[in-house]
Formats: sequence, C-alpha cells, structure tokens
Amino acid sequence: MPTAAEFEKTIKSGELIESTNEMTPEYLRELKHTLIVSGDTELISAPAYYLAAKKAPSINAFMTGIAIIQDELAHAHIAYHILEELGEDQEKLIFSRDPKSFRYPYAFDVPLDSWTELVVANGMYDQAGFCLLGDIHDKCSYGPWKRGLNKVMAEENFHLRNGRTWMKRISLAGGAAKDELQRAVDWMFPLSVEWFGLPDNLKMHSTQLEYRLKGLTNDQLRQWWLSTVVPYCEQIGINVPAHKETQDGKDVYVLDYPFPCEFDAAEKRWDFKQPITWDDVLARWRARGPRNAEMVAMFQEEFHKFRKTHRNGN
Amino acid sequence: MSETLWAALAEVQDPEMPVNLVDLGVIYDVRRDEKGVVDVDLTFTAMGCPASEFILDDVRERLLREDGVHDVRINVVWNPPWTTARMTQAGRDALEAWGLAV
Repeated sequence: MPTAAEFEKTIKSGELIESTNEMTPEYLRELKHTLIVSGDTELISAPAYYLAAKKAPSINAFMTGIAIIQDELAHAHIAYHILEELGEDQEKLIFSRDPKSFRYPYAFDVPLDSWTELVVANGMYDQAGFCLLGDIHDKCSYGPWKRGLNKVMAEENFHLRNGRTWMKRISLAGGAAKDELQRAVDWMFPLSVEWFGLPDNLKMHSTQLEYRLKGLTNDQLRQWWLSTVVPYCEQIGINVPAHKETQDGKDVYVLDYPFPCEFDAAEKRWDFKQPITWDDVLARWRARGPRNAEMVAMFQEEFHKFRKTHRNGN
Repeated sequence: MSETLWAALAEVQDPEMPVNLVDLGVIYDVRRDEKGVVDVDLTFTAMGCPASEFILDDVRERLLREDGVHDVRINVVWNPPWTTARMTQAGRDALEAWGLAV
C-alpha cells in the first residue's frame, strides 16, 4: 500500500490506478461509494423503465424499450463486477440490501406511468447519466472503470436518441399528446436538475474530485445537462423553466424557479412558490419515494424464492 | 451512379455500434431509376433489432440529401440472413477495437 504522500503524487501526476495495492484505504472507500451509486442507479432504472415500457404503443417501440433496459442491466453489472473485484459481495449488494439503502437518484422513485414519461426519462434522466458517466469516462483515475465505460457511453447515446426522437414525434403530434408530454417535462425537468446534488457554494470540498474519481463539479455537470436539454426542448416546442444568459462573456443556464423547492411526489407537482432548504431535500431523498420498495422487490423477491425452491439443485 | 449511393450509405452509422451500415454488411443493394426514386434492399442483424426504426429513418434521410433523389423506398429483406461473415474487414476492425468479438 502506498503512503499518503506517494498516493497523492500518483493522483496528481494523472496516472491511472489499476489495483487495490496502489490505493489508500480512503481512496478505496470513496471509489466503492461512487461505484455503488453508479451500479444502483443503472440497476433501478431497469424496473423503473420496465413498468412504463409495458405501455409501449407498438411492438417495435416495446423492443427498443426492452433493449434499453438490457443495456442498463449490463451497465449495472460493470459497476457491481468491479465492486466484487474490490472485495464486495455482488450478490449481497443486489439481493440482500434494504430497499432504502440503495443509492440512486430520487427521480427514479417517482413512478413513470406512461410511454410518454418513459421517453422523457430517456431524454432527461439518461442525459443526466450521460453527463455523469461521460465525466468519469473522461477523467476517472481508476483504470478498470474508465475502460469499462467505453461501451456504456455508446449505448447511452442510443437511449438519448430514443428519448429525443419520441419527444419530437409526440410534440409534433400536438393536441392531447403534446399536453401529456409537457406535463411529463414539467415534473421531470426539475427532478433531473436536482439529480446533480448540492450546488457548489454549499459543497466546498469534494473527495471525489480530489481523487480524480470525477472531473467536474456538481454545478458544472448541471450546466452541461442544461446546455443539452434546454435547447432541445425549445427546438421541439416544449417549455422548460430555464433560460440562457450571458454572464462575464460566457453562456450560463439560469433556472426560472427557486432551487430547491417543494415537490409533491404523489401528485407529481412542483410548487415553485415554495422554496425549501437542501436539508429538506436531503430528508426527502433519505426517506425515498413512492416506488422504491416495489422496484427493489421486483428483482429481490424472485431471487430468494428461487433460492428456496432450488436449494438442492444449485 | 450507384457508387455515390453506396458512398452515401457508408456515412450512415449504426445507432448502437461505431460502424457504418455498409461495413456492417446490412445493405444488400441500392439502385436508382430515371425518376430519382431509390430502392434499397437492407436487412438487420437480428429480427428483433431495437434500432430498426432509427436505421430506416437515417437511411432515408441520408439518401434524400443526394442530388436528384426524390423518393426512397426501403425493402427490408431477411434472405440471405445476415451473419458476421457479411461484414467488411474495416467493420470487423472497428468493432474489435471497440471491444466486441466478431
């Protein structure tokens, strides 16, 4: 194991870390935490998307939805597989953890109830995943993960395309279809903005940045997301509560509502007149949302049932 | 004349993998009549191809950008079936570099 000074030198030099022998215990802990968030996020997107993909408007659309879910499971597998190599028990992580201890963005706990909401998730949540993973792919100091993300990035592009193509198609259809799309964007846009976490002015120190597990701050990632989603929605005629401004000669996206603010998960409605604190948001995240237990049960229950009935055959 | 159409199709990327449709070997034939109507025979790598709609959209969109092309008719064919043997060496190299055994 390297000394703290040796390790710091390696990190500063830009070299990649390839094995646990080259890590300090603090780095290992932070790497594992980052991988768990990534694995959990990919994994939970499968039941979240599946419950909505069942409402696909055609066989072809359903196949695309299912292919995306298969990709997400494979992406989850990459993260859990690396965790196993780092000494964690993959099976326990996935099948024996309490639903509330899964570390994925709160957005997935709010039910996606229609094909329209699914494609907005592909356009917005997958874009958030694309920004977060793209940054890790670009900057991560842990070699095995950085390389594992090559294929993930290409596949996330496909998900984005599904989201964008359908959002445009639904918007062009107009009428009730477009109204439904606008309603989905209205509640899903602010949840995606929240996805990137505390603003930089409240989170002074980031161990993930220090260890080069990622390269961009929360606000930089949020700006990246806004710079892709806002222009696209404007282009297809969908309103979003954010706009572009020039500040000190640079383009910056500014939110048109207090951030953070009150969200009613049961009604899928934001109250832009009701600003809240980040402590309130963190409390909502910790309590988890409406679909948390149901989704985790979708992959945990059958596993344990199968274990019981196949005890001798396995 | 069909050479420019093949070149145009070689600019259409597969939506899931970093390889173009010609190198992937899914384009079987492309021809243009005197009225500017292009017929394309193409297949997919799997019958349940999740990207089929995107591929059809991209092929149509790219061919319509060719001078004198007014309409594109796409015939999805399953015979002969696609196998990896239909890929060009360039396509094989691209996918292997990406981490896919072909």
